[in-house]
Amino acid sequence: MPITERNISSFLKRHQALIVSALLALYSLHLSLTYKKEIPRGAVVYETVSFVIGPVQRAALSAQKAVKGLWTDYVFLVGAAGENTLLKSRILSLENENMRLKDEVLLGKRLQSALEFMDAVDFNSTAARLTGVTSTPWAKTITIDKGASGGLAKDMAVLSASGAIGRIIETASNASTVLLLTDARSDVDVYVERTRIKAVIEGNGEDSLILKYIRIDDDVALGDVVITSGLTGIFPRGIAVGEVVRIEKSRDNFFKYIEVKPKVALKTLEEVIVVTD
Amino acid sequence: MKEFIIFLPLAALYLAFKSTLFASVPMPDLPLIIVFYSAYRKTSIEGVILAFILGYMDDVMSGGIIGASSFSLIIVYMAVRLIALKVHFSTVATRAGGAASAALLKGVLIGMVLRSAGIHVSFLGNVLLITAATGVFAPAFITLFTRLINLVSPAAFKDSAH
Repeated sequence: MPITERNISSFLKRHQALIVSALLALYSLHLSLTYKKEIPRGAVVYETVSFVIGPVQRAALSAQKAVKGLWTDYVFLVGAAGENTLLKSRILSLENENMRLKDEVLLGKRLQSALEFMDAVDFNSTAARLTGVTSTPWAKTITIDKGASGGLAKDMAVLSASGAIGRIIETASNASTVLLLTDARSDVDVYVERTRIKAVIEGNGEDSLILKYIRIDDDVALGDVVITSGLTGIFPRGIAVGEVVRIEKSRDNFFKYIEVKPKVALKTLEEVIVVTD
Repeated sequence: MKEFIIFLPLAALYLAFKSTLFASVPMPDLPLIIVFYSAYRKTSIEGVILAFILGYMDDVMSGGIIGASSFSLIIVYMAVRLIALKVHFSTVATRAGGAASAALLKGVLIGMVLRSAGIHVSFLGNVLLITAATGVFAPAFITLFTRLINLVSPAAFKDSAH
């Protein structure tokens, strides 16, 4: 059968879904295999989706806090307190007030320690609140409530008063995504504080970090603190990263396998400091 | 078009809750269930584009490698479409099994993409948990989707289908 324009057109029509699938699959594969190239991707989608999702995330977090507070401060008291409705409602209102004040006190303490930290260091920084967390083995990130309009940009370091958290990988107007140190794509130049041995720390996709390129005869011990070297230009020098919790011989008999526990407890994290220098 | 109107807001809500209230719980993979549902019903370009957009949204919002989820969801769409020619996903068991298998396939595909991109992480445990959650919740979600689709279909069209 001769190839005519009609044949081609009918072939394309018949298999259009398959052709579109193949093209989009190849495009997606290309995007994922070239992710290391510094090409901005998904900026419009990120801006749009974070504009839609941001308020829902904030509302969900507030609701979660309120429910948690109600559970710990009120539900457990129902059996002991509740004889009459008036007392119950009085207790509820007092407990709610108490819960709000406790939260304010905690927030004040956290902000104070963040402020003390920001005063103590010699780089410009700004504080932001955490609005979302992604914790899968292939992506460990957090979302914060400040973005390009707050002066944040890609590759800015994100810290807390107790140590390094990660770096910004994406910014929208009012939100940013932070790649955590524990993400498998993260690597940071560090020193072992006690012995000044240089190394690279990488995320393992779980909740700990791996200290790489420490030779068998290098002096590293359990409990040693690892700090940033400041060499890559993202993290300031001397920020605590974590503490050595496991040392083993690696299979190649040349380097040690060293596991480091991050200094920052991400599960309780609510505010962060972004280095804007 | 109606699929976009229903499923995109649902997926956005899912992403918001996944990153806040349910951040530490293995959630059923809603974008995957949506793709599974649209794939076994009929072949359509809209379905393929929806799979791409849902994957892209997930990648962008989670800060993962952009393209990994969209690639996996498109392949899942094509695989489910092929299987749907032989298997009718009309019972709870076939829907649960089908969605769980699709979740497993998605996990394997993401793993392959990550390895090709030079990222080595072990995530079989996580994938199995998500697979189980997806299988358990998929029939309920599919029933919900069917009702939502019926809700937005024009009445005259629904009548003519009887």
